[in-house]
Amino acid sequence: MSYVLQILAVSFIAIFVENAVFARAMGASTLIVISRNRRNLLGFGCCVIYFTAVTGFLCYFIDKWIAWNENNYIYAPVVYVMILGLVYVITLLCLWKFTYKFFVRMRKYIHISAFNCAIIGAMFLNSSYCTTLAEYIFYGVGMGIGFVFAVYMVSVVYDRLYSLDVPYLFRGYPLLLVYIGILSMAFFGLTGYQLSY
Amino acid sequence: METETKQLTQGKIDDNRNKPMKKVIFDAAVKKNAILASGMVIAPLVVYADTFKHALTLVISFSMITLITLIVSMIIPNKMVYTIRIILHTLIGAVAFIPTAMILDSVMPDEISSMGVYFPLLITNSMIISRSDDSQLHLDRKKMIADTLFGVIGYDVAALLFGTVREIISFGEFNGNIIAMPAIVNGFAYPYGGFILLGIFAALLRGIFLLVRRFKS
Repeated sequence: MSYVLQILAVSFIAIFVENAVFARAMGASTLIVISRNRRNLLGFGCCVIYFTAVTGFLCYFIDKWIAWNENNYIYAPVVYVMILGLVYVITLLCLWKFTYKFFVRMRKYIHISAFNCAIIGAMFLNSSYCTTLAEYIFYGVGMGIGFVFAVYMVSVVYDRLYSLDVPYLFRGYPLLLVYIGILSMAFFGLTGYQLSY
Repeated sequence: METETKQLTQGKIDDNRNKPMKKVIFDAAVKKNAILASGMVIAPLVVYADTFKHALTLVISFSMITLITLIVSMIIPNKMVYTIRIILHTLIGAVAFIPTAMILDSVMPDEISSMGVYFPLLITNSMIISRSDDSQLHLDRKKMIADTLFGVIGYDVAALLFGTVREIISFGEFNGNIIAMPAIVNGFAYPYGGFILLGIFAALLRGIFLLVRRFKS
């Protein structure tokens, strides 16, 4: 029971307390692009969570393998990119083979969801914070859910931020940043301190 | 509908091809500034660049990784499918990270270790990822190099300015030297303050453009 609670706590921390965007600003650039269109948010969200979970699972084994090297942080990015690339290609091939219509519709979002700072960041943070396989997977899933949650929070007000009612100087991108900053401030209240990075 | 989209894309490609060099440089460095107008690579800036020194560390590491990656990536054929191209771009970034990390680790070990996870994360920065997109590939080689170089310079200048202002208003210091400030706001040193300050910077850039446009007319 305590093990289940521990896993849930890891996911909760990744979603809310250490939210990928609001606490760590990871994937903020991708968020700006994705939040324009709310229609495919569900598909995008599934892709992100899938990538964070699968790469988290693989990282557990890879981290043990590269841990022998003292300077592993120098070589780890190459290994992580290769893992991500492999998962990405296999996913695309599977979708193309088995669900072609879904593949055509989601292709663009799979690209964006696979290669962004939130996914690679989740892989790096996994190796720093997690020890067991379940923690690797659930922290990854939590990061993915947290990222999608952030995208949703921005996409619901996207039209208002770009509305003509907003003064020209702040309309769109500048106000979007201020809005993310205010949400980030609210999340900071949950943490109460600056996260180590 | 599909034909219409194709025509639009062709129009964009033609626009890019016919762009004069000056406009390519101005767009890359100022008008479409990576930080202040396009929202690229803002994560390390918002979290890490809270002082001039940190901003300088970020600028050096970002410039080295991004320039090496983007210049080496130019050998990737344009006709290659996007799926493979994006993997190759990121992989080149990860390989470029190795010598960069080795050099910077020996030159500024403390600063680099203080960057934490944001240092290796620079390999997937949005400037590298966006260049693997089709729209950038229709400039000729010279313009592409200029676009890359001045895009990075524009980022560097904006990041240094951002780090300097943030240090002054957050800590009342510049590069560690105390400045007599009437008030300091520590909150700007945190990520949320970074987002808000960046939003104000973006609005200021827009204001400058507006003033110039009015002055010209």
